[in-house]
Amino acid sequence: MKQTLLTLIAVVMLLAGGVRVAAHHSFAAEFDDTKPVKVTGTITKVEWQNPHIWFFIDVKNPDGSVTNWAFSGGAPGQLMRRGITRETLKIGSEVVVEGFRAKDASNNGFGQKVTYPDGRNVFTAAPPSQQ
Amino acid sequence: MTRRYLLTAGVLAMACATAVHAQQQKGTVRTAAPINQSDLPARLRPEAKIIKGYVPPKTAWGDPQIAGAYTNSDESGIPFERPAQFDAKRLEDITPEQLAAMVRERQTQTVERTPTLSEFPGATSPLHWFENYRAANSRAWLVTDPPDGHVPPATDEANARNAARARARSAHGPADGPEDRSMYDRCITRGIPGSMMPAIYGNSYQILQGPSYVVIKYEMVNETRIIPLGPVPHLNGKIRRYLGDARGHFEGNTLVVETTNFTDKTAYRGSSEHLTLVEHFTPLGPNTVEWSVTFDDPHTWAKPWTFAMNLTKVPDEQGPFEYACHEGNYGLHNILTAARAEEAEIRAAAAKGIVKAPSAQDPDEGEK
Repeated sequence: MKQTLLTLIAVVMLLAGGVRVAAHHSFAAEFDDTKPVKVTGTITKVEWQNPHIWFFIDVKNPDGSVTNWAFSGGAPGQLMRRGITRETLKIGSEVVVEGFRAKDASNNGFGQKVTYPDGRNVFTAAPPSQQ
Repeated sequence: MTRRYLLTAGVLAMACATAVHAQQQKGTVRTAAPINQSDLPARLRPEAKIIKGYVPPKTAWGDPQIAGAYTNSDESGIPFERPAQFDAKRLEDITPEQLAAMVRERQTQTVERTPTLSEFPGATSPLHWFENYRAANSRAWLVTDPPDGHVPPATDEANARNAARARARSAHGPADGPEDRSMYDRCITRGIPGSMMPAIYGNSYQILQGPSYVVIKYEMVNETRIIPLGPVPHLNGKIRRYLGDARGHFEGNTLVVETTNFTDKTAYRGSSEHLTLVEHFTPLGPNTVEWSVTFDDPHTWAKPWTFAMNLTKVPDEQGPFEYACHEGNYGLHNILTAARAEEAEIRAAAAKGIVKAPSAQDPDEGEK
């Protein structure tokens, strides 16, 4: 059964050849596409490291408690070549993160889109000196 | 020039937004966030001019000069074998105009497919991740020999070996433990030639030259290959390495690298550890090197075959950036905890008499 499943996956992947672009890790194995998340919080920590950067934000819950969420981003090298540096994510900045939650139901997620509260994309907005 | 890139990025982003909107209208896409123009900052494309009979400058010690930082992001998405639409054609039959039209079509298709670039329909990774987005391919397909553009059929021995591998693999789940994941997921290696096959990012290479060595650094998974030049015998056949054992020499202006002593853990397209891989790095212009790769492995294919693509020189600061893959490899941890969480869900469902199937996934994801 398992082998049939693997074969089926292989066939589907062959058919999809060149269509889907694989990142380093299988996101489908890590994150749950049925659990989109959208949270607003303050950046508390940034790990600008390989293979993916991670950043942490404190999110205030309706009951007043605070949950620290962690989100993954791109690889430092690919971000650097787009002119995106670790200075982009400033500790204390308020950001809105939209993405998908980890399958293990921890407060980890894939940070698909990161914006400032005014809607500007954090990773691609002009640096503060050029605004 | 920057304006042209910005304009291109703008047109592209609008097209992406339209495609996403169209998908959402159909109600088929689950998306966390729409894709918009600001998701794609401009990427400078290197100039790749090919000069017939190009003669590269020489190093101080007289070898042809090929050192530099290179990328092959623009070779992303080229069909490996000859597509059916070109039956009976050879690569050289494709005119520059036909290739240009083909590249335009592939780029348009990439834009249309943007919402499905990720494994999550409609929830693509941010566009600024895609170094290979709208690649400007140099050729119609990759296999140059045999001239029909198809990899020769696998031998019976190879089919039996690979079926045994698959059987052994299927005795485990896709993430029972770290060893069930690919060498790529585990930040170990993409092997050779895997380390030079374009992916969504990390397609940067640095070629360094000295009087008796060539060194190639590969960004993705941070590989470095040290290639002695000249009549240096290969290692003892009992010594097997993930990247094999490489020896190089120059034939005219072409660097030829022969690699043997592979392991069976880094099989490429089902190759065996007896593979002899011969690479040719041929300068085609001041910024272009053709990289061709010949597979000679009678244990896998009845005859040798070759594929080729171009490497394009980029400024040194665009070269490899240290990819210390292990330092924050939470991905592997998350994959394993996700599998445990799923198992718990399946058990909980079973306790209520509900049969829940495990989610489909490919443990060799990263090998593709």
